Amino acid sequence: MTQPLTGRRPSRLSAWMDMVQGGTGLLLVLFMWAHMLMVSSILLGKDAMYWVARMFEGEPLLGKPYPILVSGVVLFILAAIVVHAVLALRRFPASSHQYQTLHHHIRSLRHGDTTLWYLQVITGFALFFLASVHLYQMLLHPGDIGPYASSDRVWSGRFWPLYLLLLFAVELHGGIGVYRLVVKWGWFLGKDPRRGRRRLQRIKWLITAFLLALGLLTLAAYMKIGMEHEARVGERYVPAHLQPVAEPQGNP
Amino acid sequence: MRAAPMTNAPANDNRIAASNVNGGRTLTLRIFRYNPLQPEQEPHLQSFTLEEADTMTLFIALNEIRENMDPTLQFDFVCRAGICGSCAMLINGRPGLACRTLTRDLPREITLAPLPGFELIGDLSVNTGKWMRGMSEQLQTWIHRTGGAPDLCRLEERMEPEVAENIYELERCIECGCCISACGTAQMRPDFVGAVGINQLARFRIDPRDDRTDTQFFEVLGDDTGVFGCMTLLGCEDFCPKDLPLAQQIAYMRRKMVLAAT
Amino acid sequence: MQIIHTDALIIGGGLAGLRAAIGVKRQGFEAIVLSLVPPKRSHSAAAQGGMQASLANSAKGEGDNEDLHFLDTVRGSDWGADQEVVRMFVNTAPKAVRELAAWGVPWNRVQRGDHTSVIKGNKVTVHERDEAHGLITARNFGGTQKWRTCYVSDGTGHSMLYTMSNQAIAEQIPVHERMEAIALIHDGERCYGAVVRNLITGELLAYVSRTTCIATGGYGRLYRNTTNAVINEGIGTAIALETGVATLGNMEAVQFHPTGIFPAGILVTEGCRGDGGLLLDGRQERFMPAYEPEKQELASRDVVSRCMETHIAKGLGAQSRFGEHLWLDIRLLGQKHIDTRLREVKEICHYFLGVDPARELIPVRPAQHYSMGGIRTNYRGESPTLKGLFAAGEAACWDMHGFNRLGGNSVAETVVAGMIVGETMGEYLADNQITVSTALVHDCVGQAAQQLHNYAHNNGNENPFHILRDMQHCMTDKVGIFRNGERLQQAVSELQQLQQRASQIRVHSAARGVNPELVAAYRVEKMLKLALCVAHGALQRQESRGAHYREDFPLRNDRDWLNRTLATWQQGAPLPSLSYEQLDVRNMELPPGWRGYGSEERIDHPHTAARQAEVDALKAKVPDRFQLQEQLMPYCDLLPPSLRGRNERLAEPLQSPSGEQRP
Ligand SMILES: Cc1cc2nc3c(=O)[nH]c(=O)nc-3n(C[C@H](O)[C@H](O)[C@H](O)COP(=O)(O)OP(=O)(O)OC[C@H]3O[C@@H](n4cnc5c(N)ncnc54)[C@H](O)[C@@H]3O)c2cc1C
Ligand code: HEM
Ligand code: HEM
Ligand code: SF4
Ligand code: F3S
Ligand code: FES
Repeated sequence: MTQPLTGRRPSRLSAWMDMVQGGTGLLLVLFMWAHMLMVSSILLGKDAMYWVARMFEGEPLLGKPYPILVSGVVLFILAAIVVHAVLALRRFPASSHQYQTLHHHIRSLRHGDTTLWYLQVITGFALFFLASVHLYQMLLHPGDIGPYASSDRVWSGRFWPLYLLLLFAVELHGGIGVYRLVVKWGWFLGKDPRRGRRRLQRIKWLITAFLLALGLLTLAAYMKIGMEHEARVGERYVPAHLQPVAEPQGNP
Repeated sequence: MRAAPMTNAPANDNRIAASNVNGGRTLTLRIFRYNPLQPEQEPHLQSFTLEEADTMTLFIALNEIRENMDPTLQFDFVCRAGICGSCAMLINGRPGLACRTLTRDLPREITLAPLPGFELIGDLSVNTGKWMRGMSEQLQTWIHRTGGAPDLCRLEERMEPEVAENIYELERCIECGCCISACGTAQMRPDFVGAVGINQLARFRIDPRDDRTDTQFFEVLGDDTGVFGCMTLLGCEDFCPKDLPLAQQIAYMRRKMVLAAT
Repeated sequence: MQIIHTDALIIGGGLAGLRAAIGVKRQGFEAIVLSLVPPKRSHSAAAQGGMQASLANSAKGEGDNEDLHFLDTVRGSDWGADQEVVRMFVNTAPKAVRELAAWGVPWNRVQRGDHTSVIKGNKVTVHERDEAHGLITARNFGGTQKWRTCYVSDGTGHSMLYTMSNQAIAEQIPVHERMEAIALIHDGERCYGAVVRNLITGELLAYVSRTTCIATGGYGRLYRNTTNAVINEGIGTAIALETGVATLGNMEAVQFHPTGIFPAGILVTEGCRGDGGLLLDGRQERFMPAYEPEKQELASRDVVSRCMETHIAKGLGAQSRFGEHLWLDIRLLGQKHIDTRLREVKEICHYFLGVDPARELIPVRPAQHYSMGGIRTNYRGESPTLKGLFAAGEAACWDMHGFNRLGGNSVAETVVAGMIVGETMGEYLADNQITVSTALVHDCVGQAAQQLHNYAHNNGNENPFHILRDMQHCMTDKVGIFRNGERLQQAVSELQQLQQRASQIRVHSAARGVNPELVAAYRVEKMLKLALCVAHGALQRQESRGAHYREDFPLRNDRDWLNRTLATWQQGAPLPSLSYEQLDVRNMELPPGWRGYGSEERIDHPHTAARQAEVDALKAKVPDRFQLQEQLMPYCDLLPPSLRGRNERLAEPLQSPSGEQRP
């Protein structure tokens, strides 16, 4: 039955690379959504954020926080990004000729989805640097996560410009990414694929807008706390239930 | 049964009467000129001005230019009815069928250029035919039967009506090449078979008369020149003059090819 | 100069040419196909409505068979057709549909159960049988007694051509695209191929072949107002005429289709009316029932077109800035039907008229549509006067359409003719060893080259595009639906003047490559010759038959004109020479009579009554339809052996295990 038609035997590499690129992308998007929700816990109060941070360090399970766990997650995510980025690099224009053709094409076509893809390439490129800095920071200082520590980094450590860029880059990149991933594999298109696609695009923008708003509020919250805390940089937050007296002390 | 409620009459008359609202414009057509057989003349844009007429299409406008202004102008029209796929070109930078593009839907200045991604024959004429034949040969876009030819005197094989309609849905492609010109991937990588090729194989994949297995489809479609080259830019679908559900078909083949690969 | 050798040269990559090439190739010979455009862009792709074949699967097709298809076709032709050829055709058409089905055409299928259809303006329920479920279904078309037109939505020709072309690719048949045959290579007796111009580089080549087949389609572009593609200029027909040896048949038989959209002339299919659409006049009232009480909108095209023009002449058309027209109403078919079965129609209305046919009326007026005439061949598709020259499809006149073709019979003809001609070309190749003199080839190419060269050095200053346009106006105005001696005479003189002007064409551009001005120049000269064959033939034919209608001779005249016009053109002559080939009533299976629509008045042939009596007597005596047919007009031997078998139907199962031969 399956005698070859052409004698051509394409390797299965393309298929795998496509799947892994999409898979890591999806993983990263899901991670980012979760990450955003966690980080935004600051909006619910310093205690909420504190609790989230300790949870990731395994305190509820292990009895005491192990920041090294965070480093582990960071490494894992870093690996995913590297794999994802390397595979995605295949899609970049490979020569100046290709780059020119592409540039001309995008400009003359004035086509929404193509432009979005280009935006994804650009943000992906930016992420390469921005995310590295952030991850490097998290990898080396996994213990420095908490209502005050984070806020100090954001404000006094002058990380907020980076986060602002990173926030836009990652939300745009990830939002477009999942949308394209969903269309790419033909999920949720419904009976009328064209209409389905338009609907997906609307949903995508809604999600992105929500996450950006949430992110900006969160960033503002960190900045505000950081500003207020500027004088006592380095001091750690002690959650409400551990604050015996008015004098907050805290290095867990 | 008497069918025509009188109320609809004026609507039709108005439509035709209204077709002249833009009339009286003077159009400027800026047309890409280059004859590869006369390379001494560099590629350039040449401007022609002409009076817009009622229900003027680019087919009419271009012929007027050729008949009265420049008899050397090259372009391709066959059916002039939007069904043969000959006349695709870049209209103000975007691919479309010139014969069914009304000038009244365009601004006063219109730039026309040949479809990129195909061999240029001259001016607006490109060799889509050669490209498509190559694609067809490479992907083997025909029914592959393992059994012998059927006895033509006998009743034909049955097919579910719905299956037949689904096949036709995909077979409506007119090989105009718009999807290739609207695809950044195809523009960057000339060996990519494009939406037209992937869609055509999807058409055979759903055809119960074709006995090919997914492994066999994988041979011709399973790498970066095939379905895995597509980066989901979606220009193909948005510029396909036949409104084919290309994204969905590419996704379909991608899923089948992934299964064939794993 | 490049010379390319092949067994069979097929000029034309439409349905007919491709099928013929496949036939030749399957017999082990080499075939090369030439085409002006990529083959999938040939005008066969524009056929919307469908393909006639008496499969009798659908409820409204029940009881259909070759006999009825034969009757309809001969009546449609107004008895101009060659009845033997029609017989060959109707027996092969079901095989052609089934072959295409096997190759991949997604014919619409019978869906069991009840369906609502619109018939003569009324909604009716049609019940499809269980046992027919999944077989190829059919729609109604003009001039037929049964629903016989197999279809693929309204993209039938597209699907057929894509399937055929893909099949040709599968069989590795080379198609040389953008190549134009501009002269035949011949020695006055035998044809040896063609002189061909490359439409990319402008070079001349010689294709030398043992057999040559012209399948270049129709010549609708002789007219201004036509549904035909811009490449349908009849150059293939003209190069046969220019041999001075090959003949053209019935060139005056030109069909006008009732529903070209107005004013663009683009076709909306007869399927619109077949599926229940109605024609309305300026008052938005139906008028066809008054002219044709029985068939109404679905009388044959010649009849409906004439009724429409008559109605407009009475002042009952709808007015618009472009002139008068009528309306086609398909709103009553409903959105879903239009979205699935008439989607090309919907697109055309949308893009060219800005009309949504599910809610609005479509402005229509008859436009030139089909060329019944063409290169005269015998039933095998071979020219009787120039050996080795074959013709098939719309370009040919083996004569199954006579003076009016039925809708859906043409794409069927192209494939059937391709099957038969492919087969006979193979036989010819097996029987004939041919050597060609190189001198002859060089001569022919040299002549062609000289002609092209002359355009650049002419003293005159005529513009070929303008001559073309003037010719088209002349044909539309004076050689249209209603003809009379005076206007035809004017047309002939005008065309001759245009010929004079054409001899003064000066091609200014020396651009290398295709050079569109040069192309227009040599084509218009050829087209003028064809136009003169049409106009002159129409002037001479003093009767009305099928699509040829003379106001000054309104009756069909079997006594004097039951014949086929043959035209040849001697080099340098001012006009074609016409001769006439008689049709013999005494051999007809269906002697001339009333068509069942149109005028009942006519002048009978003296032999008609006797032949009719003979036929009636036999009919009373022989009950079996196959035996009866065999005795009335045997034809089976004319078919290639592989195509002789009977066609199975639900109601006519085949007894023997494989398609048995006729007794
Ligand atoms: C709008 C429209 C709708 C129609 N609908 C129907 C329908 O529903 N049912 C039906 O039965 N019929 C229909 N017809 C008629 C039918 O489509 C045609 O008669 C038929 O397709 C002709 O096929 P063909 O193969 O003879 O020629 P074509 O398909 O016209 O092909 C001609 C070929 O010859 C080539 N050629 C021409 N000149 C030269 C040359 N000098 N050198 C080299 N190559 C050349 C062309 O490139 C082309 O490949 C319709 C016709 C029109 C115009
Ligand atoms: C170093 C950082 C990154 C780079 C260079 C990068 C680059 C790219 C590029 C170029 C694409 C397009 C690939 C294609 O069209 O086939 C892409 C797709 C994608 N990216 Fe990233 N990216 C990076 C990080 C991320 C991150 C952090 C996320 C998660 C938020 C992410 C999610 C996605 C998704 C979901 C896709 C779609 C996958 C697909 O289409 O198969 N990427 N990336
Ligand atoms: C496991 C890995 C990661 C951890 C543990 C982590 C942790 C954090 C923490 C604790 C903050 C709060 C600010 C701070 O403490 O500096 C933060 C903010 C942020 N992180 Fe991460 N992060 C990780 C990965 C990523 C990745 C991969 C990205 C994007 C590519 C990212 C993007 C951001 C952004 C944009 C902000 C700012 C959010 C805002 O203020 O709205 N993070 N991250
Ligand atoms: S898929 Fe659409 S755009 Fe592409 S060739 Fe076919 S019809 Fe044209
Ligand atoms: S535009 Fe190109 S990249 Fe894919 S989705 Fe269409 S083929
Ligand atoms: S000329 Fe046929 S699609 Fe435009």
